[in-house]
Amino acid sequence: MAELLNIILNIVRNALRMLSLGRPAIDNSLNINIKCSTGNTLSVGLDPEWDIGEVKNIIAPKLGANPKEVKIIFAGKELEDSIVIKDCDLGEQSTLHAVKLSKSFVKPSSGQLSSVIAEAISDEDEIAVLQETIDRAGSQFYVHCPVCNDLRLGKLRVRCSKCKSGAITVDTDPKSWSDVLKSNKISGHCEQDDCPDGAFAWAEFYFKCTEHISQGENDEAVPLYLLRNNFKNIPCLACTEIKHVVFVFPCKEAHVTCLDCFRTFAVLRLRERQFVLDDAIGYTIACPAGCPDSFIDECHHFKLLTNEQYELYQRFATEECVLHAGGVLCPQPGCGEGIIVDSSCDKVACSNGCGYVFCRKCLQGYHLGECNSLDNASLSDDIHHITDPARAAQARWDEATNVAIRVTTKPCPRCRTATERSGGCMHMICTRCSFHWCWVCQIEWSRDCMGTHWFG
Amino acid sequence: MANIASQRIKREFKEVIRSEEVARCSIRVELLDDNYSELKGEIAGPPDTPYEGGKFQLEIKVPETYPFNPPKVKFLTKVWHPNISSVTGAICLDILKDQWAAAMTLRTVLLSLQALMASPEPDDPQDAVVARQYKEFPEIFVSTAEHWTSTYAGGPRKKEEYSKMIEKLMGIGCDMDQALVALSSCNWDMNKAIEQIFG
Repeated sequence: MAELLNIILNIVRNALRMLSLGRPAIDNSLNINIKCSTGNTLSVGLDPEWDIGEVKNIIAPKLGANPKEVKIIFAGKELEDSIVIKDCDLGEQSTLHAVKLSKSFVKPSSGQLSSVIAEAISDEDEIAVLQETIDRAGSQFYVHCPVCNDLRLGKLRVRCSKCKSGAITVDTDPKSWSDVLKSNKISGHCEQDDCPDGAFAWAEFYFKCTEHISQGENDEAVPLYLLRNNFKNIPCLACTEIKHVVFVFPCKEAHVTCLDCFRTFAVLRLRERQFVLDDAIGYTIACPAGCPDSFIDECHHFKLLTNEQYELYQRFATEECVLHAGGVLCPQPGCGEGIIVDSSCDKVACSNGCGYVFCRKCLQGYHLGECNSLDNASLSDDIHHITDPARAAQARWDEATNVAIRVTTKPCPRCRTATERSGGCMHMICTRCSFHWCWVCQIEWSRDCMGTHWFG
Repeated sequence: MANIASQRIKREFKEVIRSEEVARCSIRVELLDDNYSELKGEIAGPPDTPYEGGKFQLEIKVPETYPFNPPKVKFLTKVWHPNISSVTGAICLDILKDQWAAAMTLRTVLLSLQALMASPEPDDPQDAVVARQYKEFPEIFVSTAEHWTSTYAGGPRKKEEYSKMIEKLMGIGCDMDQALVALSSCNWDMNKAIEQIFG
């Protein structure tokens, strides 16, 4: 009885499926956008078990073409009729490109077309080989996904560098990171009807996140190309453990640390304010083994830090930029607004921030005449009401802090940052402006200081 | 202690123990606590230097941030050397400061210190007095360094003349260290040394 019912149900299902061809009701259907070279986009549900030939049957009528005249392009490759959808690494809401072969194109290149197909087959084999090595070696792409706001596995996609259309077939597979990251390395054939450059195109590679459902063609992820799978089993430079995923520094020796050690290292250098502001790259660090020319040139790698740490990174980077450009930072506690100043005028107003008006040289409240010792500025504040001095003194949190700061610190002779010496020698290096100064003389560090009172 | 640091030190400790330098008795390390944050090092004075035959003890403190920051190293054994403080044992060596790199290890640090003992850099001094003597009176420097090595590090070369001068000063109420420092820094001029101590 139950069997009979099942058979009837199946018949009904099949009948329904036949009726609603083009929009089949499939349980585990994959929603795919198919972008046509004519410009319109179709949203279709596809059965992962189907092959490309069946997809062409659905698409062809919408393009007003014979299924044989349709080319399906995905990730820089023309897909063969026999390829099954589930083997294509298509995610939910992925975009396929359908191109109608114009007669003028088919005819003169009919000889070529077979070679294109032959090429496609050999490419397919190559992909299979590549896929196998990838599976074996575990080589994957790591990306920072702005949607998930986290480290994710990424997938490589390609588009025409001119018209940004994905309807492009590449002539060769990228072999290295420079093929992928640098422009005009891999040539291809753009199938978009209205591409200003015509058929010849340079391929532009980009990445998508594998974890979340694609939010369209502009949903990109940033490649963290210094992250690699450690199939060579190289031990971490710092902790000497062999981890699965490693950070490969861009130095000649390609030094390797594990991700935990990279984070520890980056946070440490950040808190010590030892990042470097490079004109071309930005605020960054070099290889912990001290190699030359080893700056991390994709700052999204610092997204491996926590959100708070990354915010600190951004703040320090901004401050460094302001100081680098000859600006000052508002000294008011909790403000720190960066201000680009007119070097001929000592009066600086924090007009976009807290409104504090201060002296450019000593970073104390603005005053007329020469800068004095630290005390003057705070004393010059007018006191408008009369209080019990003893009680007021006890209740002044800020004053206690000020006293503590005044007693335990000395200002950096250049940027006036209050500096505490917790131990070690008298050679101070300002963590804010990198000035080398002497704790005893409070001037620039010199040979004399080194000879006479280096250690007190 | 941070996991990375202790793990690294553990490995480096083994590296030193197994190294050929240990086999030749030229370097040694010893753990002072269970969490690998404090160690005691020892290096042999390099041959053909005033330090030959001496054994020099080092204090090695491993910071939490190791290996991204250098270990803090100083001499526990008193030594007469332009780049090592004769008073505190503090060391002036670039790799222990800004030239430190995470790829360096306890072994390379100890070997670098040995190299520093063999070739002082008087233009980048830790001890200005020693550096001046090294440049102006190289012979006095050598015999003084030898005398320090024999006094504190078990070295073989002791100058009778120096010992007698020290005894003389001890006879008038100085202790031995005080007398040695004063005489050494005054290029073994008795009168100047007395003036320095009592003046």
